[in-house]
Amino acid sequence: MSEYLNSKNIVPNANCRRDHDISPWLDEQIWGHRLWDGQTPWLLFLEFLTVAEACLRENKLFDERGVYYPLRFRPYQRLYLRNILFNNQFVNKSFSQIDIQRDDNRIWNEWIQQMNNEAQGDIDRDFSYLKDQFSSFRDFDTVVRMLRRTVVEGDRNRRWSSRFVFPFGSEALYEDLNIRRSTASREYINFGRTGELLYLMLCRSKSSEVLRGPMKLLLQNKYLNELLKRLQPDEEDDLNNRRGRSYLPYIEHPCFDFLGEDWKNVFDLELPGFDAYQYLVELSAFHVILYQLNTATAFIPNIRKPHFVCEVIAPQKTLVRELSISNYQENNALTTQAVDAYISRISESDAWLTTIGGFAEADALVKCKEILQDKVWWPLPQADAPNGYDGPPNPDALIKQLREFARKGHGKHAGNVHRVYGRAIGLISSRGTKRLRYAPNDIFLKTLVVANVKKRKEFNEFLDDLYKRYGLVFGEQEASQTLSVEEFDRKAFQANTERLERRLSSMGMLRRLSDACAYVTNPFAKEEE
Amino acid sequence: MKVAEDWIHFLRKYGPIAQNGNMFDEEIQRTAKQTGINPITFEHPLAQRLLRSFNRSNNQWKSIILTGTAGDGKTHLCRQVWEELGGDTEVWASNAPYVMMTTQHPNKGKVQIHVIRDLSAWVPQQGMDWPEEKAKLLLKFSKLPSEDNPTDFFLIAANDGQLVETWKRLKDYTKDEDVEIALLIFEDLLFKQQEESDNLNFFNLTRMKSSELFERCLQGLLSHEKWQECFSGENADSIAFGPQSPLRRNYELLQEPLVKERLKMLFEFCDYNELHVPIREILLLLANAILGHPDCHEGLMTPKDVEKIIKNETVVKASLYSNIFGTNLSVTRQESIPVFRYLNLLRIGYETTNRIDNILILGETDEQLRPYFQKLVDEDVFYGADKSYRVARNAYIEGTEDDEGKTAEFLEALAAQRRALFFKIPREWEDELRLWDLTVFKHVGTYRIKVIQPLIDNKKVATHIIQRLVRGLNRIWVGMLVDRDREVYLSTGLSFSNEPVSRLLKEEIPISPRLGQKVEVILRKDDEMPMIRITLASEITRSFLLTLTRFEFLNQVADGALPNSFSKACYEDVMTFKSQVLAALAECHRLDEQEQNSELTFRLLDVDEHGTPTEETVELLNV
Repeated sequence: MSEYLNSKNIVPNANCRRDHDISPWLDEQIWGHRLWDGQTPWLLFLEFLTVAEACLRENKLFDERGVYYPLRFRPYQRLYLRNILFNNQFVNKSFSQIDIQRDDNRIWNEWIQQMNNEAQGDIDRDFSYLKDQFSSFRDFDTVVRMLRRTVVEGDRNRRWSSRFVFPFGSEALYEDLNIRRSTASREYINFGRTGELLYLMLCRSKSSEVLRGPMKLLLQNKYLNELLKRLQPDEEDDLNNRRGRSYLPYIEHPCFDFLGEDWKNVFDLELPGFDAYQYLVELSAFHVILYQLNTATAFIPNIRKPHFVCEVIAPQKTLVRELSISNYQENNALTTQAVDAYISRISESDAWLTTIGGFAEADALVKCKEILQDKVWWPLPQADAPNGYDGPPNPDALIKQLREFARKGHGKHAGNVHRVYGRAIGLISSRGTKRLRYAPNDIFLKTLVVANVKKRKEFNEFLDDLYKRYGLVFGEQEASQTLSVEEFDRKAFQANTERLERRLSSMGMLRRLSDACAYVTNPFAKEEE
Repeated sequence: MKVAEDWIHFLRKYGPIAQNGNMFDEEIQRTAKQTGINPITFEHPLAQRLLRSFNRSNNQWKSIILTGTAGDGKTHLCRQVWEELGGDTEVWASNAPYVMMTTQHPNKGKVQIHVIRDLSAWVPQQGMDWPEEKAKLLLKFSKLPSEDNPTDFFLIAANDGQLVETWKRLKDYTKDEDVEIALLIFEDLLFKQQEESDNLNFFNLTRMKSSELFERCLQGLLSHEKWQECFSGENADSIAFGPQSPLRRNYELLQEPLVKERLKMLFEFCDYNELHVPIREILLLLANAILGHPDCHEGLMTPKDVEKIIKNETVVKASLYSNIFGTNLSVTRQESIPVFRYLNLLRIGYETTNRIDNILILGETDEQLRPYFQKLVDEDVFYGADKSYRVARNAYIEGTEDDEGKTAEFLEALAAQRRALFFKIPREWEDELRLWDLTVFKHVGTYRIKVIQPLIDNKKVATHIIQRLVRGLNRIWVGMLVDRDREVYLSTGLSFSNEPVSRLLKEEIPISPRLGQKVEVILRKDDEMPMIRITLASEITRSFLLTLTRFEFLNQVADGALPNSFSKACYEDVMTFKSQVLAALAECHRLDEQEQNSELTFRLLDVDEHGTPTEETVELLNV
């Protein structure tokens, strides 16, 4: 059994019951509340940033101070900014339609009037403060157009209240809302709490302290943040109610540490502007996958940690592709197996077995229900089933129904994270075939180099590290450690690494010194002059 | 005749055949002994310096690491040192990977010299235990950098990969700190092109300029005494070696100054792109150039084949000009041999101009073109326009032939003629016929004459050359077709610095020095490669190695094209450079407090229809 399943390492979740109306509470005990497939890696990261910003404001960035539940934070709503950027028909008009030269003042007034009328959400309808910030309406207009173009995941969210400007700093961060005429309520579609879990993972990683400085710098950077500040009135009461209460079950977890290290490595490069974000986004979603699958294997008996046979895309079908397809399918089934295993633990526990052995069926059912209610908050009384369970009156049927429920619930969201995130970050693809497999794209490969190579690293060592840290299998060495004798084919994997070498080299990230010696180089490593 | 034939067979062994035994110093020595034919020899450019390391008159002896790729001449050089030091030739001939001798040091008395001529053959195989004495010896070597007065000297020859791998394994085995440090030193030496460290000289043969090696190889080949046997006496009139023989013709062509010059150019192309060709492959190419013929066994002629070739009228297929590119070999074979792979990157034979093609296709009938056709094609009775070329050409011009195979055949013949032109166009026609347009590197002339040469002569690169590079940089960095070339635009996207279109202007770095900023092209000291260097402030500079490929890429972008033949890697490289410069700019701004506070102005770039950049400034009011 993995170290981290030790009861001392588990965050008690008794209080969760008070906070969350969830039944069965089962996926949540394995992975936390919650892994949500509905958010893209970028939205996951944005949600994380809102938590980080709120915690930084309260001077507790990446520091839980020993209290693992509940994390509470107060994110911004920033309704003025959002109205200006995304609920502003006026700026949509082409500039040539507005006779700006004639009367700057008149245009301002017209615009302010219109905004005052059309703005939504619970705000004072007074946008006149903007006039004092810009030397002309034209400048203001230019700024708004410019910022609108930076919208994150713009194709995905059509609704204006779920549009997010690029996270230029604390002034650009706000929570997902459903805004009506004068009310706004928290929306969980785009920010489904996985970003909160990501925040907690980083808090609990061994690198949490060293991440604080660079994260703070990015959140408080002056340049564009200042611009966004000017678009908003000086208001303190924009802050929303406290949010939070997400649950991450483990106090320590090796996956948290790897995640933290990777983030640190990216920060260490001191990339210009916000360039680090593109890699942090990729890495975060990747580590959520790793966390989910690794934790799943900790629950399933007699199984190894997951590995990922990666095909470096080849023009034709290759053995590596075949292996990758079946490997993908195996991995994709892991989380459901973990749910099953979790239930089996209960049904094979002493408490359960003595109950069904020691009581008549009807009594046993009552007792077993009590056990389940205690362990997984199920079954709960419902309108159509006042006792919470209406199946055949025996413990076997009860556990069977739990299994069905749990699987169904799992399949709707948490069970999709591996596939959905994996595709979004370019690890999983069906390119060149109809079936999904691990076939990393250039951005994903670049991210691996950026996070794992300080300056340069010998190619084979690089492959070895990718295997040890993430379970990624590219080369023959790694494949021979992972695959059975029947599956392993030296030549196929040699060809795979040759293709990887060519790909990296075409991206300017590999230098071959001779036929026996190649180094992966980090293009952003600081130059020695 | 026998002697001449033997020599050709011997030469063949240098060529691209399955059993080219002459790839290995040990085997050449053995074959030479058996046949009485001396190997092709020349002085290696490093030989003198290497020998000096253990010179009796020099008391500063240093141990040596000799690294390089297969066929760079490591074993050969080791043998020279061994013999120079008076080592026993019998011991050497044993082929033991490790040999040792005791000798007299100028002021230390008796010292030991350990020669590991083949490191990978000597160290235990992967996964096997280290024999104590071997680990001990390498440990001793690893301690050299910190040793005050060593009495053990080493000469270790190894492939760079094996060197690194061996020390990695040794590090895992011994857990010794000195081993770890030695490994880091090796890596640095491999990357940074340094050559010296304490008590240690490091010779990296892959750093040798291929063009220099080529000249020596060619000289060694042409001056071999056995050629005498081929072209004198009764052999001189034989079919195999007589005036009609393509074999002889190829040998003679290699002696022509123009051919030599252009051939050397090909290797300079490799040098300019940091592609290293080892000696073994240069000799392979030369043997192939003389002997190549696609119809012969393994693609190489023997003297006996010549008669048939002449009879079948396939002399043209033995063309030296094509053999240089390996076209006598199958495509897979060509691709498996790096030197052919490199040379074919130039696409000589496929790149062309209208003028060139007009000469080749219409030159015989067009009055204006005829002089060119005569000199460049007609006069060449071996590889010029033979009967089959003329027939195919006429069919092609008349367009009556709808057999696609015939057209393809003619196009192949045309490619062969273009290749030949690369070696035939005389210097005085270079500019007029735009010689370099026969390669993908259309700007190589400028690169050599206007960049490399002045820098080597300690002169500056002309401003207009830098301006073109800057225009190329600007277009890629900004992502718009800007025409500005007097300053480098440092702009970013609003979100990311490397957005395809980067409108947010951060800084302009002028070409001509201003306020401590400048853009120049300089020479990297150790290998004479040019670099673009951008200076943002005193002590804050970033450099971009200007390989020929990158130079060509930037120039073509400046011309308005986005060349796709080598653009992906180049584009990435140029964008990475942008990131580096922007990171350096951020460093400057951190140092310069004032800059931070003035940042309430946003400068947005746009470009009008003439390519002139326009700038819109958005200012925030101070409140």
